[in-house]
Amino acid sequence: MKYQMLCRPAATAIRFHLDQGEGITCEVGAMIAMSSGLTVNTTSKSRGGAGGIIKGIKRMFSGESFFLNHFTAQQANQSLLIGPAMMGDCVHHTLSGGTMIVQGTSWLASTGNIEIDTTWQGFTSALFSGESMFWVKCSGLGELFLSSYGAIYPIQVQGEYTVDTGHIVAFEDTLQFRIGKAGKSLIGSFLGGEGLVCKFQGQGTLYCQSHNPPSFGQLLGPKLKPR
Amino acid sequence: MEVEIRNRPSFANLLVNMQAGERIIAEADAMASMSSTIEMSTRWNGGVFSAIARRYLGSESMFVNEFTTASAGHIVLTQPFPGDMACVELQGNTIFLQPGAFIACETGIHLGLGWAGWKSYIAGEGLFRLKLSGRGRVWFGAYGAIFTREIQNEYIVDTGHLVAYEPTIGISIGLAGGIFSSFFGGEGLVTRVRGPGKIYMQSRSFDGLAAWTNSYLY
Repeated sequence: MKYQMLCRPAATAIRFHLDQGEGITCEVGAMIAMSSGLTVNTTSKSRGGAGGIIKGIKRMFSGESFFLNHFTAQQANQSLLIGPAMMGDCVHHTLSGGTMIVQGTSWLASTGNIEIDTTWQGFTSALFSGESMFWVKCSGLGELFLSSYGAIYPIQVQGEYTVDTGHIVAFEDTLQFRIGKAGKSLIGSFLGGEGLVCKFQGQGTLYCQSHNPPSFGQLLGPKLKPR
Repeated sequence: MEVEIRNRPSFANLLVNMQAGERIIAEADAMASMSSTIEMSTRWNGGVFSAIARRYLGSESMFVNEFTTASAGHIVLTQPFPGDMACVELQGNTIFLQPGAFIACETGIHLGLGWAGWKSYIAGEGLFRLKLSGRGRVWFGAYGAIFTREIQNEYIVDTGHLVAYEPTIGISIGLAGGIFSSFFGGEGLVTRVRGPGKIYMQSRSFDGLAAWTNSYLY
């Protein structure tokens, strides 16, 4: 399987080249176009994985869909074009047995043997991280494709790193974060508009998004007519 | 201090690489992420009174954040809307920014508020404008891509598209064409800018987005 990222970062799409027997699992609605030699199988299970209805319901809590679409090439030399619903960037991460914790709605596609599950990162994370209450947990072996509003940039965390709330896309589970204040004083942090931030610790890859939808919404919202 | 504008023009953001002792001032809530070696402190945007004036009259934040480091590190600064960013280096001169455009500046820059006038208000640009003067670099952002133009005589910009301009620029309001084409041609009022000087324009208007979104809401 080969892939190519197109039109980054504003209107990103991913083009896959698949040979016979190769497959990709995608978020529902991600497919833009595909060759006729691909079949689609819609289930609530991960490819070759266990779980069913319960996994699907759990996934809905994290903002993903109940169903997953499994695309499989029945012939050689097939292509599949996918993209997220919102304008924004996509990134690729190779999982080799590790686990990636992904913000709800950012999981786009995965290949190989990756289990898509839901996880809970604790009360403070649920309430203050600016992300959904539940997170998507991707673990196993294969290629992972994530999407987000804004441009996505990777950070190799070694020790400590600070991310503003609402800017986390995904992080390896070798990292932990706690909610802290942005500056030295708590009052200053709030007056300065940064308020609470997520402070990561450990060693691993972290993906951040350059823009966040709530800030955009706060500007646009007051200009919209009341409904 | 090395500053790179990344992901232009749709999702521009600033990557600021800082060495020991360097400082940068950023708009409130502009920080997306930063190294743990960076210290953030919050202070009044100018003096107390000018900060309050800027908040309530200029739609800017009352506070700004100052970032510094004792060793080295980086910060990523961003803006709320998708669009481009630009950098201007001031050498004792002044530049006017529309409310909301300011992102960051070096410490040699003074942030002030200037009266823009009713003409500017009617043009959809706000009664007040941010006045930056001093020595150092200034970064500002826009909704959409940024175009620059050196104006010699007169130039016409649609309302809501002017982002920044030099103080030698004069602004007045006019009709785009005759009465009929002005109101049925979708342009309505336009801003007439008079040179000499440089102006920065944005390729999209935020009020245009709001109007378009409103037309789909029931």
